[in-house]
Amino acid sequence: MAATLAEKILARASGRDRVEPGEIVWVTPDLVTTPEVSFPAYVNRLRQNGIDRFALPERVVVAIDHEVPVHSKEGAERNRRTRQLARETGVGHLFDGDGITHPLVVERGHVRPLDFVAAADTHTPSLGGVGALGVPFSIELTMILAIGRIWVKVPETVRVEIRGKCPPGVTARDLVLATMARVDADLANYRVIEFGGEAVAALSIPERMTLCGLCIDMGAKSAVTEVDERCVAFLAERGVTGVEPVRADPGCRYAAVVTLDASTLSPQVSIPPSPTHVRPVAELADTRIQHAYIGSCASGSLAELTAAADLLDGRTVHPEVQMLVIPATRRIYQQAMENGVLARLSAAGAMVSPPTCGPCFGGLAQLAAGEARISTSTRNDPGRMGSRDAQIYLGSALTVAASAIAGRIADPRDYLPAHTPAHMEDAAR
Amino acid sequence: MTEVFSGRCWRFGDDLASDQLIPPHHVFEYDPAVLRRHLLAEVRPQLSCEAKAGDVLVTGRNFANGSHHSHPFLAMKEMGVGLICETISRGPFRLAVFVGVPLLVAGPDVIAGLGDSDALQVNFTTGAIRNQTTGRSFAVEPLAPFLQDIVAVGGGLNYARALLEAEGTDNAKR
Repeated sequence: MAATLAEKILARASGRDRVEPGEIVWVTPDLVTTPEVSFPAYVNRLRQNGIDRFALPERVVVAIDHEVPVHSKEGAERNRRTRQLARETGVGHLFDGDGITHPLVVERGHVRPLDFVAAADTHTPSLGGVGALGVPFSIELTMILAIGRIWVKVPETVRVEIRGKCPPGVTARDLVLATMARVDADLANYRVIEFGGEAVAALSIPERMTLCGLCIDMGAKSAVTEVDERCVAFLAERGVTGVEPVRADPGCRYAAVVTLDASTLSPQVSIPPSPTHVRPVAELADTRIQHAYIGSCASGSLAELTAAADLLDGRTVHPEVQMLVIPATRRIYQQAMENGVLARLSAAGAMVSPPTCGPCFGGLAQLAAGEARISTSTRNDPGRMGSRDAQIYLGSALTVAASAIAGRIADPRDYLPAHTPAHMEDAAR
Repeated sequence: MTEVFSGRCWRFGDDLASDQLIPPHHVFEYDPAVLRRHLLAEVRPQLSCEAKAGDVLVTGRNFANGSHHSHPFLAMKEMGVGLICETISRGPFRLAVFVGVPLLVAGPDVIAGLGDSDALQVNFTTGAIRNQTTGRSFAVEPLAPFLQDIVAVGGGLNYARALLEAEGTDNAKR
């Protein structure tokens, strides 16, 4: 029987030849990840329940990523406990201020295609960018730590086929926002989004991670992209070898097939109160912003930082805008420092901070009432970044950089290096 | 769990996001006694003061969407309230089961028949709902027995410990 990518992964993780959508199977995760926000609390919960050892500690990765550098007494104590408990429980790896969990485990070669990854943190579906199925389990991670397995209802798959080529200024963020405009919570709920098509094949691996990571915010269980030669080469550079390309079997069953044409898309922005409220950037042209942020697990790659620096070349951040840039991992930070990207961003007026989830969940750089930020982070619920009366808009690194220059939400196509004005491109189409 | 709940209906609308249930800056807080004070505090401040064990939160579509945080469900368990929603995505559904919050998913006609402040009697094992204020009764499909078992033993950790004890490993100690 033909299987979707998610069905192949769940069959493998449950030790079966195949699985059918709707059945409940017990799966053994290949990798279990948790940030410091939850790890000590989870270990405490387990110990309170008389469970003091992990079933498969070598598969567990703990990352101190949410409050870095630590800026509270509570955080300091939490980090101390995290380091101590990581030693006591014998976890496979502790990352301590090295970056945000999801990009980090890919960068450091902890994830293979067809892996089933159980995470405490919500945005683990970004691992679909390397053909793994990352599923957030939140506090259910305690059960996984205890018994090394978890029940999963095999999801149906929605195939999203993105044809054509992204025009200049249109990025992976815009592709996933355009997908959100077509795949609502009712279609996505309890299903996996499987991306394919020419526009997806043209994306880099970090861009595919952006595409998959944000699918959780449309209500999907997870998301995954096909494993092609580009993915194989990317992983080989990170020490993951013996990987073969893999895709869904021809004739497999999808709950729905949604087709988009990338060549017709423009930059998109999520407006308050949720990421799924998507508008073309042009409709928001008069929206003033006081803050601009590039970072989070959904962004902050070297390519995005470079693209933002290129767009800012010869320009400066608007005097009434605070622009903050946070590379997603220490390695990206190091590379961007060495190749001059951070210096160019700083020279244009941006602040640069070390890798952390920080602003994405309101742990750093909070907003005051009446302020607005455009951000590459994951969510824009009221109050997520400080005041409930602040407005959060979400867009690509290019849209954020253009808006930082303009002091209002701006179309990045009007700022691209050696650009063709957007209205001329539209006219030519 | 106590399969039959008798109490007040707390009625909410569609698209109640996880971050509205408990604002995300409480993400580092795991004490249920503290969390219950923050449950829906900015949406319906009187809930945390007035809700009693046996009350039932009744919501529309897409309940607890967004961040998959256990915090709202820890708060609900602490309050002793049950949950009926029209739709709930997979993350919060699992959390409700894991934490041990009794849950029913009901159609729009049922939800429309449950008004704020109505007196309800809800059997979470059989799916029988009686609105004592209006006199109307409804029957919905209950959770799968396998999931009811997890809720019944008080959540996933109790379930895990029972499994470990049954397997005779020394990972669980009393």
